[in-house]
Amino acid sequence: MEFKAIVFLPLIGAIIAGFFGRLITDRGAEILTTALLFVSAALSWWVFSRVGFGGETIKVPVATWFTSGELEVAWSLRIDTLTAVMLVVVTTVSSLVHLYSIGYMHEDDARARFFAYLSLFTFAMLALVTSDNLVQMFFGWEGVGLASYLLIGFWYKKPSANAAAIKAFVVNRVGDFGFALGIFGLFAITNSVSFDVIFSEAPNLVGKEMSFLGYQVDILTCLCLLLFMGAMGKSAQFLLHTWLPDAMEGPTPVSALIHAATMVTAGVFMVARLSPVFEYAPTALMVVTFVGAFTAFFAATVGLVQNDIKRVVAYSTCSQLGYMFVACGVGAYSVAIFHLFTHAFFKALLFLGAGSVIHAMHHEQDMRNMGGLAPKIRITWAMMLIGTLALTGVGIPHVGGFAGFHSKDAIIEAAYAAHTTYNYAFWMLVFAAFMTSFYSWRLMFMTFHGKTRAEPDTFKHAHESPMVMLVPLFVLALGAVASGFVFSEYFIGHDYKEFWNRSILHLPSKDILHHMHEAVKKAEWIAWAPFIAMVSGFVLAWLYYIKMPSLPAATARTFRPLYLFFLNKWHVDELYDWLFVKPAMWLGRVLWKTGDGRIIDGLGPDGIAARVVNITGRVVRLQTGYVYHYAFAMMIGVALIATYFIFQGGGLLK
Amino acid sequence: MEIGIGHYLTVAAMLFTIGIFGIFLNRKNVIVILMSVELMLLAVNINLVAFSSFNKDLVGQVFAMMVLTVAAAEAAVGLAIIVVYYRNRGSIAVEDINMMKG
Amino acid sequence: MPEELQIYAPLLPEIILALGAMALLMYGVFRPETESEAETVGWLAILVMIAAAITIVWYGNGTVRLFEGAFVDDAFARFMKLLTLGGGAVALMLSFDDFRNLRIMKFEYPVLVLLSTVGMMLMISAGDLIALYVGLELSSLALYVIAAYRRDSVKASEAGLKYFVLGALSSGMLLYGSSLIYGFAGSTNFQVIANAAKGAEVATNLWLIFGLVFLMVGLAFKVSAVPFHMWTPDVYEGSATPVTTFFATAPKVAAMALLVRVTVGAFPAIAMQWQQIITFIAIASMLLGAFAAIGQTNIKRLMAYSSIANVGFALVGLAANSAEGTQAVLVYMAIYVVMTLGVFACILSMRRADQAVEEIEELAGLARNNLPMAFALMILMFALAGIPPLVGFFGKYFVFMAAVKAGLYPLAVVGVLASVVGAYYYLRIIKVMFFDDSKEKFEPVRFKAGAVIAAAALIMIFGVIWLGPFTDYAMAAAQSFTFVK
Repeated sequence: MEFKAIVFLPLIGAIIAGFFGRLITDRGAEILTTALLFVSAALSWWVFSRVGFGGETIKVPVATWFTSGELEVAWSLRIDTLTAVMLVVVTTVSSLVHLYSIGYMHEDDARARFFAYLSLFTFAMLALVTSDNLVQMFFGWEGVGLASYLLIGFWYKKPSANAAAIKAFVVNRVGDFGFALGIFGLFAITNSVSFDVIFSEAPNLVGKEMSFLGYQVDILTCLCLLLFMGAMGKSAQFLLHTWLPDAMEGPTPVSALIHAATMVTAGVFMVARLSPVFEYAPTALMVVTFVGAFTAFFAATVGLVQNDIKRVVAYSTCSQLGYMFVACGVGAYSVAIFHLFTHAFFKALLFLGAGSVIHAMHHEQDMRNMGGLAPKIRITWAMMLIGTLALTGVGIPHVGGFAGFHSKDAIIEAAYAAHTTYNYAFWMLVFAAFMTSFYSWRLMFMTFHGKTRAEPDTFKHAHESPMVMLVPLFVLALGAVASGFVFSEYFIGHDYKEFWNRSILHLPSKDILHHMHEAVKKAEWIAWAPFIAMVSGFVLAWLYYIKMPSLPAATARTFRPLYLFFLNKWHVDELYDWLFVKPAMWLGRVLWKTGDGRIIDGLGPDGIAARVVNITGRVVRLQTGYVYHYAFAMMIGVALIATYFIFQGGGLLK
Repeated sequence: MEIGIGHYLTVAAMLFTIGIFGIFLNRKNVIVILMSVELMLLAVNINLVAFSSFNKDLVGQVFAMMVLTVAAAEAAVGLAIIVVYYRNRGSIAVEDINMMKG
Repeated sequence: MPEELQIYAPLLPEIILALGAMALLMYGVFRPETESEAETVGWLAILVMIAAAITIVWYGNGTVRLFEGAFVDDAFARFMKLLTLGGGAVALMLSFDDFRNLRIMKFEYPVLVLLSTVGMMLMISAGDLIALYVGLELSSLALYVIAAYRRDSVKASEAGLKYFVLGALSSGMLLYGSSLIYGFAGSTNFQVIANAAKGAEVATNLWLIFGLVFLMVGLAFKVSAVPFHMWTPDVYEGSATPVTTFFATAPKVAAMALLVRVTVGAFPAIAMQWQQIITFIAIASMLLGAFAAIGQTNIKRLMAYSSIANVGFALVGLAANSAEGTQAVLVYMAIYVVMTLGVFACILSMRRADQAVEEIEELAGLARNNLPMAFALMILMFALAGIPPLVGFFGKYFVFMAAVKAGLYPLAVVGVLASVVGAYYYLRIIKVMFFDDSKEKFEPVRFKAGAVIAAAALIMIFGVIWLGPFTDYAMAAAQSFTFVK
């Protein structure tokens, strides 16, 4: 019952707020959805303590969804440690974001709709993480996509918001195409979409081949890559990442919930959930590692030069998701989920903090127009500081530190332990950690320190956010500080096998966590490498933005091509525009003007209507009004019928 | 030459055709149309009487009597309508009967 | 009634109508020439019709042939006669107010309607070529006159003249066909003709085929089937609206009954031949009616084309040459009469400053001025377009089902297409009434017209309830004939 309550309470809230929002007023919708979410979150923590440490896997049948031939899809909730972790992340962040939104959105006049969307999103995300089969997962997957679309385009009067919403939707379709193909493939091979069946079949499929697009391909590699394509779309990995920065057009709480803590991590969750399949596809895992590492590196470079406070955080998210995929790719799924877990807290904190800054600055988002805000909004500053410390991974090796320190450094160590070619994953991640540190501190310094560059008027009126917005920050800050050292023993430490139970498969042959601990013991510098990267990033940022504020401009001038390359996000958007958007527009225009306008309308509705009018005109002209024409018509009729029978020769009479 | 049923029918058919043509070739006077109609009915009567004689059956001749009677009534009604029309329009030229069309 | 006269009881309706017409003629002649006297004659004529209808129901039983088979009374005849009388009586009743308006309220009109009705009754019961011809001419002669009844109007007299000329032509052809058939069969009796046509050497007998063609042309003219329809729009437009109402109902029913009786009754042996003819004129009528109606601006003219299309649909049922087909014809005609009366009652209510208006655009915004009338007319238009669950839909449904059962798929397909095209102009009227800027108000709807409109609309909506028994009745009527495949 409690499991069903966790999943369906947000849905109830969404339905009531969405359809009866007018009835219960905006205030009522806020209170109702937020209260339901808090209940859901409380239940989640209780379930987490029970399942995560009790080690049981629970299945709660809800209903038979549909049956068609061999395809049987049940709706049941699969509750194991992995799900429990996700439940905690989703409901906690969601409930805090609900609460925060009450303050942040208080000037909006469609709050009932906003909260309905938020709750709908939460329901879809919970359906995704509790899914027991691929179809149910796909339902949640598309549900969050829909909610994301609705929320990015929440301010639908803003053309840029609509464009961003459509972009997010379309780019995700590309990934979903792969995901759907992967599901079809798994069903075709195993005759089932249920996880249990697929997981038990997976070891038998190693090395088998099937025909795909006319090629003989390894089944598992092919299917895993297709599934990973879905993950790339949802988790904004390189090539399918372009929607995430644009999604910042949505309200900031949405960015915190969907585009930092939960939905974008769905891809990571999916790979972890399907670890019993991915584990048998080493080639696919190599691709995962590479894409993750590259995204971590790429997004960090772009983050260095962005000026929009939310975009910096967005690219940071993109980069951190890359870290998680690297962990998945090297087989350290538990580390990936651990980073997902800690990241949810500090990234949501950063987003909500950024939201608080934006709120204080009257919806100013450009960091070039900020600066010196620390004294004005001291609490927000402190919270952002905690978020930054957690993100950059501040901590002393072997002693402890903020959340990011525990999870991110573990990923870097795992990447080293996996021995990729030239250790590229390790070095890219370390360099990305350096850049992370730099852009995070750059954000802090540009926003809160130095001399203000804001409009004097705006600066004068900058004010601290109300309590309803600050409380979520406090809670998240707590998570950002403590979630690392409290949970690291369970998630990735000595107790990890008992903790994860069978929810994540680690092949005994490559116990990456063990290797990781061994590697650090052997080479102490590995543990210090991210620390050094982090510190040097901080020092460089301090030099650039506090000590010598003229340096950034000078550097940009010196390395102008590189600066522009980063500023324009590696020109990926322009490339897509040239590769896909322009041809698609051209094709659409051709189909519209020629195909639809001339051929379909021309021969179809319009054409038929025009012909009807033509015929009518002719028929009406036949009616001349002269009696002799009428008589003539009658005689023509007689002649026609008589002639017909003469030529029949009476043959039909027989 | 023996005059058979075929000859009677041919004459009747010719008369009937002339009557029909009279209706739609005539552009001048509606009275001519009345006459054409009478011609058609006459042709029919020839047919009926010929068949009556051919079939040795009197019904055909009775039918012919009926036709004659009705034709008379028809002519009366027709002329009355023509008179009414002439009063309104001041003309009974077939080409002028063209108020309504389309 | 004396015993020896008992056998003539089925003839009573015709006798009552004929005597009533003559008596009313005398009454009218000897009474002062006032409008109220004329209306009295009118109501008396309606009474006569009701009396005739009662005797039909009272004495009608089984199939009776009188006068050597020249007069047939069967269930089919009774069904069609009741329909004819009903249509004629309602059309007559609707005429009073309008004729008073036009200052042509004269006692001759009801008398002519009665005489014409006698002719129609004889047509429906005809079992002999002579009876057919005489009945046809009796009704036609009266119709020629009432077409030009509004004799100070150019349009009405032109309508009468056109109808007369073309009617004479058509009856000439009908007669010519009759004479050929008589020559072939040696008899004018339908049953004898039917038997004679069964002979084997008939196969090449052009007399019979030509006779059939000419006879059917004459009848097709009466039902205004394409290409013998040309008189219809002009007569509908030119005649006074009450006359048009009458034209659109009673004579159509009678002519359709006669067509059924001649084809199914007299020529079952050469059904293949007349089925082809009927198929041809049915397709032509449905298509031309649908297309030509789109181009009309005058609502009476539009209804003329609509009636042409409707006759085409009814002929589809006849083309099936089956009991179901004939049943469909009966049901279709009954529904058609109700719809037509309703629509014409609406047209009669389109008056401004005592002047009748007939343009479709005059209906603009009727929904804002007179919602009940607009709603009723909308129902009638939907019914004409054949939109379920209105009764109008079932008329078309029965007809098309009969055609499909008989294997006439192309006919059914063309029919459905034509009704799609036809829906356009019916819906256009609804659009004009409900969505166009409103014009000046019409005068209030008069009681009689209002009652007819309301009754017709209600039958369209609720008629489905009685559809079952009604179709059973129509089936019983259709089974008066034996169908030979």
